[in-house]
Amino acid sequence: MIETFLTYLNQDSTITAMVNIGSMTLFFIGLFGLLTHRHILRIFISISIMEIAIFLFFIGNTFDKRFTAPILGDGNTAFVAMNDPIPHAMILTAIVIGMAVFALGISFAIEYYKLTGKTDINEMNELGES
Amino acid sequence: MNFKRDVSIRTYSGFALSSLLVLTILNIILQNIPDKVERAGEQLLELNAQEGVANAVTSVVAYFRGFDTLGEIAVLFVAALGIGMMLSSNCKAPHKEESNFILQKASKLLFPVIMLFGVYVMIYGHLSPGGGFQGGVIIASGMLLLLISDQNFEIPHSVISALETFAGISYVLIGLIGLLVMDRFLGNFLPHDISEMGMLLSGGIIPLVYIVVGIKVGSEMSLIVQNLIKRSEDD
Repeated sequence: MIETFLTYLNQDSTITAMVNIGSMTLFFIGLFGLLTHRHILRIFISISIMEIAIFLFFIGNTFDKRFTAPILGDGNTAFVAMNDPIPHAMILTAIVIGMAVFALGISFAIEYYKLTGKTDINEMNELGES
Repeated sequence: MNFKRDVSIRTYSGFALSSLLVLTILNIILQNIPDKVERAGEQLLELNAQEGVANAVTSVVAYFRGFDTLGEIAVLFVAALGIGMMLSSNCKAPHKEESNFILQKASKLLFPVIMLFGVYVMIYGHLSPGGGFQGGVIIASGMLLLLISDQNFEIPHSVISALETFAGISYVLIGLIGLLVMDRFLGNFLPHDISEMGMLLSGGIIPLVYIVVGIKVGSEMSLIVQNLIKRSEDD
């Protein structure tokens, strides 16, 4: 019973489906939080969750379980049968940029709160709308 | 115009249904991708065997896409600059409030270990998983531990700006020397013998570039953390 389940889990199609459905579900959780919350820090956190979902989507779709990580050592002596290193480097870049943007947004939110005492985005009407 | 977000049950169910629809369509598309897709990494892995670096991701980040990494740390620098400009204005003296005893003692115990681990991850980035970005963030987390445990601790701005300037200038200098000695920006002008692959001194300029990136990321992240903490304390 357990072995059948593990064999099912180890199939390529199952892994692909789990990666796609899981990461996109996480993406929609983030989008839902972005659309329904009004506190500005919660909106930033929702954007971060959406970013993490995209990272998981990329890495999971370029992963091949027959290949190893692109690092020599542990018995690997040549650069053959390895996973693609380019998506890893791209996602490393994207993580750093996302972190920088998140920190900058939080600093804007902190300064806005110190100035006006508001965190609700519905009350942010300095330009006179609503 | 009203921005109120009173979400009804109909909106919830519509959102769930539409997200399920998108998931299904995406999965159908992705299941029908042909099995053999041409990967750009194949040629890159062959090229990477000539550079004498055991970690292929490091050689992609710090060598093949080294110019992009220069732009990336420039983005990080601009973000740190913006946070400093936003938060350090009219900054008052922080509260003199003692932190927890356990936190004070444990931070003195843990800080050297965290710094050592960060420097290890940074220096061995071309041999094992890790590298400049990861090591820099670990060092910044050690700084965060000191900042939350000791209220009077402050990283001097002169040290951070000196480290950051040194790192940025040496990155560009390494690239320009590569342009002069070899044929391109960030050319690998130091000896990189394939027989030494796996040693600490291997890979030519690639470990140097990643250590420089680590110094820059560590100082910038420490500055960001310090600005956020010091600004959120005063009121």
